[in-house]
Amino acid sequence: MKLVFYSGGHEEDNLDLDDECFDLIDSPNPTFAFIPSSSYDGESEFRSFVRHYQRFGVTRFLYFPVDVPQDNVFLKEVFKSDLIHMGGGNTYYFIKYLRARGLFSFLKEFAIKGGVLSGLSAGGILMTPNINTAGYPEFDKDDNEEGVQNFKALNLVKFEFFPHYRNSIRFDRELLYQSTQTGNPIFALPDGSGIVKFEDTMKFIGRAFCFSKGTKTLICS
Amino acid sequence: MCEGCYNAKCTMTRLKKNPRPKTKEDGQFRPNSRTYSKFKKIDGRHPFQNNTIDSYLPYYARKRHGGEVLVFNFALAKEMGLIPDGHPDKMTKELERSILDTFAIVIINEYDQINEISYPEEDIKPYPFMATRYLQLQHPNKQGKTSGDGRSIWNGCHMGKGKLWDISSCGTGATSLSPATHIQKKFFQTGDPTISYGCGYAEVDEGLSTLFFSEILNKNKVKTERVLGVLKFKDGYAITIRVHDNLIRPSHMFNHLKQGNYDALQAMVEYYIDRQEQNGSWQNVPKDKKKRYDFFLARQIEVFAKTAAKFEDEYIFCWLDWDGDNVLMDGGIIDYGSVRQFGLFHADYRFDDNDRFSTSITEQKNKAKYTVQTFAQIADFLKTKERKPLGEFATGQWSESYEECYVKAKLSNLLYKSGFKKETRDEILVKDSDLVMRYLKTFSYFERAKSVLGPKKVNDGITWDAIFCMRDILRELPQMLLVRGESINRTEFLEILKSSYATEEDLAMTPYRKKRIDEFQECYWELIRVAATYERLTVNKVLLNITMRSSVINKYDRVTGDSITTITDMLMEKLGSLTPDRIYKLLNDFSEYQNLDPNDDRDLDKGQLQKSKLMRGFLQVVRDYREGL
Repeated sequence: MKLVFYSGGHEEDNLDLDDECFDLIDSPNPTFAFIPSSSYDGESEFRSFVRHYQRFGVTRFLYFPVDVPQDNVFLKEVFKSDLIHMGGGNTYYFIKYLRARGLFSFLKEFAIKGGVLSGLSAGGILMTPNINTAGYPEFDKDDNEEGVQNFKALNLVKFEFFPHYRNSIRFDRELLYQSTQTGNPIFALPDGSGIVKFEDTMKFIGRAFCFSKGTKTLICS
Repeated sequence: MCEGCYNAKCTMTRLKKNPRPKTKEDGQFRPNSRTYSKFKKIDGRHPFQNNTIDSYLPYYARKRHGGEVLVFNFALAKEMGLIPDGHPDKMTKELERSILDTFAIVIINEYDQINEISYPEEDIKPYPFMATRYLQLQHPNKQGKTSGDGRSIWNGCHMGKGKLWDISSCGTGATSLSPATHIQKKFFQTGDPTISYGCGYAEVDEGLSTLFFSEILNKNKVKTERVLGVLKFKDGYAITIRVHDNLIRPSHMFNHLKQGNYDALQAMVEYYIDRQEQNGSWQNVPKDKKKRYDFFLARQIEVFAKTAAKFEDEYIFCWLDWDGDNVLMDGGIIDYGSVRQFGLFHADYRFDDNDRFSTSITEQKNKAKYTVQTFAQIADFLKTKERKPLGEFATGQWSESYEECYVKAKLSNLLYKSGFKKETRDEILVKDSDLVMRYLKTFSYFERAKSVLGPKKVNDGITWDAIFCMRDILRELPQMLLVRGESINRTEFLEILKSSYATEEDLAMTPYRKKRIDEFQECYWELIRVAATYERLTVNKVLLNITMRSSVINKYDRVTGDSITTITDMLMEKLGSLTPDRIYKLLNDFSEYQNLDPNDDRDLDKGQLQKSKLMRGFLQVVRDYREGL
């Protein structure tokens, strides 16, 4: 599988990660599909997405909001893309509609068959076993206004992903505690950092920390 | 130890949290004595009173107590220069007082005078307000001698930001120009519960739906009256404050024309022309009278041809008729009672107005043309002082100009909806109009296709379901072509295009339909190629640009009349718990979300979506009703 996790930040902060991401793509003329977390302002995010990746020579793009119904023709086309990028936003809202539209199996199959699946923040969390990290810390969590109760996510990796991490006591306190409540390591990354998972290898770009069983470890500086 | 350490228990430098800098939103804004002084000048006086003849009835008014501001349109007030630009979008006590002092009024009408009802002297406003006269088809008198503002008065005007704005209020009491007065041959007491529309009051939900609908259409460059605010009173009724830069309707002229009143007609037309010039809407207006009326006619031809095309292409149902009552002179929408925006081209929907059915959306073009025919009669009358029968103006240069302008507008609108940018549209229209015409024909074939199930009744009229959603194909086709580099197959084309109204029979792949699908894509490709030539870009780059523009223009969820009605119902249920600021925030965010102009940078508050259950409910309603009426 080819998975890329973006923590967040400005486009220019993620150029190294983008380079790594492009190394995973086989096609010389790839198609990139963008799935926003919500269609509310999805078109603006799509524009930003296009402008950013045009700089890398990509010319073919698809825009696929999942909180509105889509026809099968378009859906099939999206899952023929070379890369599908899931945007940031409210994780609960995002997962609610991904599940409601039955897209979990499509996304898993896409990843298993060798498509590059990338996710920013909420989009990254969705690739992990569950979306628990969206629910803490109290001062910086997503609101579960949708009343989502099933927190199981795509389960494409065996770790949890904590984006927008800041190296501070209050983040650490929460993450250290949460790491004792889960059997998975939690990778906490500040904006501009990311993870590239290719088959059995995993590469960290930028600073990354691991919280596991009550301890914090610097993985990459 | 600090960043990067392995031991989380080490001491880290604790950053001191600085207080967030206060903004005007946080309470720094302090109104002074001049902040709301402009409201005081809105006192009934209006240049209309001195520059027209026999065109209004004056009414004194008194304060109406027990009112509160339900919502105030801060953006519009700033656009008008009525409040300072830096004013926060928050209701202050002083602002509420100014709004109520200015707009919470009720007229002292004929019933009050006949029955010698007296009111406290201090409650009576110093200047009379006017109820304007205009033609209305629902009145027994078909010359406009008895009709006009039945439950509205004009509050006055406001000069701000280089424009003179007209301000009127709906729900300010029963005037003698309402149909009820003349059908029942008596004057009504304001608020008389035995009669609904004729009682002179307005409903809260009317005001809110007009507010939401008009703001959305305004954001999408559709000319319309706008709502400055809605006041609510203890008896449950409302006053809706309406604003436009020129509130004159064709019917303000047609009454004088029907009555053969040359002087009154001339005064009204001159007043209108002057206002258009004063506001900068018209430039280079001739001084010579005859040339002036030719100029007037030419502008009105253009306005109504473009308006008819715009309404049709945006699926706006606005009941245009011979009286010229439901539209402003500049083509703006007024009176949202029967206005709708359809999700699909429901060409056969007709509103049931008890004793008659309305026009359909396809008939609007000829109704608009008939209005222009009346303008041609007016221009001739003013030039010759001889009022010739309307039938004599059935044909002529004006008619050819109207048709030409209408077709041009249709072609331009289609290119816009398809995602072409302005410079490219202009060049294509000049050099490739035959191609665009072919594209329009094949586009219209799908757009106007109707269900085999035939006509059916709906809540407020009749309809015949359209079966294809053109917005979907315009949104998805450029993406599919971009990715594949070739046309999609016919089955895929119909799969994208079909609406929820389409039955299996509706979707039959007949030989004729196959031909049309092929034609559509051929035209589309050809347009992309010529655009690529004009823009000096690759075909892929043009398709990508169109993809991005079209994803906004043809956004999946666009409001319809039914969705506005449902959203208003939701608001009404929550009204008790909503502050004016909260309603305004909802209005602002919702109308911004429905801003489908690809050239605008929208200012959306994503937090609003996450935190507001009501807002999320609105969005769901828009989705649920997106293909309806």
